[in-house]
Amino acid sequence: MSRTVTKWMRFALDDSAGTPREVPVDSVSPVGFVYDETDLTAYQDAVKGYLSAHPDAPIDITGPLSNDAAVSLAASAAAPALSGSYTVLAPLSAPTFTTPLGLAVMWGFDGYWATGDPVFGIVSPSATSGYICTKFQVEGEKYSARFVPFPGTTPAWGTAILT
Amino acid sequence: MTRTVAKYTRVYVDGYDLSGYTRSVGPLELSYDEADLTTLTDTVKGYLRNHAQANVGTLNAVLDDTATTGSHAVMSVAGQKRTVLVTIGMNAAPAAGDPAFAGQFLQKDYTAADEGGAVIVSIPFSGWASDAASLLHGMPWGVLVSPATARTGANSGTGIDNPSAGATVKGGYMVYQVIAGNGTATVSIDDSANNSAFSALSGATTGSINCAVVRHGVIALSTSATVRRYLRWQVALGTATTVTFALAFSRNY
Repeated sequence: MSRTVTKWMRFALDDSAGTPREVPVDSVSPVGFVYDETDLTAYQDAVKGYLSAHPDAPIDITGPLSNDAAVSLAASAAAPALSGSYTVLAPLSAPTFTTPLGLAVMWGFDGYWATGDPVFGIVSPSATSGYICTKFQVEGEKYSARFVPFPGTTPAWGTAILT
Repeated sequence: MTRTVAKYTRVYVDGYDLSGYTRSVGPLELSYDEADLTTLTDTVKGYLRNHAQANVGTLNAVLDDTATTGSHAVMSVAGQKRTVLVTIGMNAAPAAGDPAFAGQFLQKDYTAADEGGAVIVSIPFSGWASDAASLLHGMPWGVLVSPATARTGANSGTGIDNPSAGATVKGGYMVYQVIAGNGTATVSIDDSANNSAFSALSGATTGSINCAVVRHGVIALSTSATVRRYLRWQVALGTATTVTFALAFSRNY
């Protein structure tokens, strides 16, 4: 049995030039699909019945503000290499920046994340597939940011690193 | 690795340094209306960004009646446009290249209240002012090009790098806060592709202004202006021999 803790969690996303980076985080919202559930119960039913509508997959993060230089994303099984949160996130939040982003939440299992461990997000983005940043906010020494899927995008659970 | 704490934040409003009166400021917000564009055939809900909301949040300060420069003298008249520059030093007083949040925002209120016996003032902002110098940019996050420092001559030094590297081609705007001076001067920004050969960034200049009184403002470039990778502050002294100013620049990406 393998279990894990948050210190092995990683958060990676594309910068404004499309290069994968990792930024420091101290919280990540629940990750995965949350479905609109439609109650279709009729009077005559003995039990309430539902069907699933569209799922949503927003991701909210918070973390320490930093303007460190951007560095390359660490490879599988390597220690995280962190770029500055301000360095990466501020350009993505510009009103004129509209490119969908690759984004990956990664869980290592009692060790550094390695290929085969769980990943959620979009690891191979395109001009029509990825996440967009809809908030970048700073309060005190912490930032918060929000990402939502670009229309037509399908985030997924997988096991590959962001490329 | 550089991280920081809030005590290294500095706040400038309308040419005045309010850092010595401010207890907190924020949240420094840039967020967007999320327009849901999901269709029947989409697998997952999808969104595009609509209008941005850019806002300083609330400036919380001590009530101080220092003439001319105190928190009460500067901020007690609410309901008007303010030129605001908040800069966040990285575990030290702010330096060139550190994050800056700047623009022209509408001051909503000014109220004094008791907080544990201390008399403090709460100064919330509504967002970007509709009579701001520009409504075409709305990117309050940028970099500090010059911390508030007395300058006595032209700058021939190196500049600061674009956080995301490279030139940008969607313009931006300069925010200046002239805090002190003794005559006329022109404050501006130079840009460079290599951090050695600098030239004036077209349009990013105050023109000649009288710095013997506080001056402040936003100078917006066109939305298609090229801004090269490196930036540095510049000043051309007229009748002034010294000018103290803080300067920030926000790029569009």
